[in-house]
Amino acid sequence: MAGVVVRGRFPRRRIVQAVVTNLVRHLFGGAARSWARNLGSTAPALGSMTLLLLMSGLVGLTGFALHNLQQVETGQASLLHVYLRDDATDPDVIMLSQRLQNDARVAGLTYVNKAQALERAQRIPGLPQLADASESNPFPASLDVQVKTIDDMAAIDALVRDDVAVDPVYPTSYDKGAYQRIQAVLLGTAVAGFAFLGLLGFIAVTVTANSIKAAIHARRDEITIMQLVGAPRWMVRGPFVVEGAITGAAAGLVAGLITFGLTFAAITAAAGAFMRFAPGVTVTVAALAAAIVLLVGLGLGSGSSLISLRRHMET
Amino acid sequence: MTRIYGSRVALDDVHLELLPGELTFLVGPSGAGKTTLLKLINRELRPTSGRLWVAGLAAHTLKASRVAELRRRVGVVFQDYKLLPRLTALENVAFGLQAGDLRVSDEEARDRSQDALDAVGLGDRGDAFPHQLSGGQQQRVAVARAVVAQPPLLIADEPTGNLDQETAWEMMDLFEDIAAWGTSVLVATHNVAIVTRLQRRVLTLVHGRLVRDQPAGRTGRMAWLASS
Repeated sequence: MAGVVVRGRFPRRRIVQAVVTNLVRHLFGGAARSWARNLGSTAPALGSMTLLLLMSGLVGLTGFALHNLQQVETGQASLLHVYLRDDATDPDVIMLSQRLQNDARVAGLTYVNKAQALERAQRIPGLPQLADASESNPFPASLDVQVKTIDDMAAIDALVRDDVAVDPVYPTSYDKGAYQRIQAVLLGTAVAGFAFLGLLGFIAVTVTANSIKAAIHARRDEITIMQLVGAPRWMVRGPFVVEGAITGAAAGLVAGLITFGLTFAAITAAAGAFMRFAPGVTVTVAALAAAIVLLVGLGLGSGSSLISLRRHMET
Repeated sequence: MTRIYGSRVALDDVHLELLPGELTFLVGPSGAGKTTLLKLINRELRPTSGRLWVAGLAAHTLKASRVAELRRRVGVVFQDYKLLPRLTALENVAFGLQAGDLRVSDEEARDRSQDALDAVGLGDRGDAFPHQLSGGQQQRVAVARAVVAQPPLLIADEPTGNLDQETAWEMMDLFEDIAAWGTSVLVATHNVAIVTRLQRRVLTLVHGRLVRDQPAGRTGRMAWLASS
């Protein structure tokens, strides 16, 4: 064997290997074993969190659909028809058009003459009979003003209402009450949605924190020994955070799968109707929602554990 | 140092120094402050005033994030052993070693834990679970766990409280051996027979005051008996 160099293993590598092995065993292995052992006491937290995450996922998707619906409705509602007098002169109409085009709140402007107005009316159910009943064309020419935000509708209406080119009897299509109702409904829905999600979150955090409290109680001897032999604080607390994260992830996974499954089933069963009532909610969006539910579950479980640890574990 | 709980003075201006290789007994009636002193040394408590140095660390100003560092330098033995019931004797000792130092590999932990069990006379019971061991054997496992990381200081709170007299003597022999290796050993006890016969250094606490610091080799009066 003379001249043969026998290489030993690099000590630093062995230390790293030992640290990783111990970390995995203490943090993840210990947490997984404890989680499985305490599944009975964790079950209520798991069940309630699954239910809450599922509802959160469905509420989230509904909110997303409502948001898209609102965008569609807002796009339609932010179109203001400014009706012109039949005897309005071209210079008056041009002057009014220029005033509107120069206004920063206006996104676009289209002139609709009487013939085009009649043609449009004939496509609306009920109006062709009205048009036929009259010997002359009863529909006025108009300037169709696309306002940038729905909140500026009243201001634009006030700006044009008294113009000489505008019909004094029925100046615009602006209906103050209608816009306020739409905005009140949207605001109410958003507030109710956030309040509901907040309540669900509070319940989920409380239930999970209590299950972690029970886990801390069940392992208090182990915790005491770890603390007394000089285990770092993060190592004593880490397994409980991981345990909470496992509960959250398991709940998130189940809730995410159900959210995705329900949405996927609805899309495939009645694609046309679904797209009309829930615009923008596609299979990809459903998968994304499921992933978010999983991540929220993970965060909720870990966060609840941290809260419980702060309250119930002595240093 | 002084430690006050609310309006009650648990330790009143106590001055002492423990030397390497010295076995010291801490005696006194119940409520004299023995456990408080041990908890201060292990930084389970912080002194209300005064200074406390443990193996080079200032325990009186130590931040919570560094308490683990101090505890790795102090081995602790309890009256009720505090072994984990679902781990074997060897695993209990190895757990203490690896929980305190992540760099210790399984192989090293097994070897050092076996050495520690050999040292306390339980080398052949490593695979036994705590419920399969007698009280004295469980306490030996607890001592093995306390010394396996070779801390410079070992503290024991009534380690013979649950043991018969013969086993208590065996435990004391063990503490003498550990002190002989160079470790400072501080044993809080009520066992007068052991304290008087071993003739080691004896610290006597009464009502939180250190009333006597009797050097080794002398047989003193157990003044605290009159107060208990």
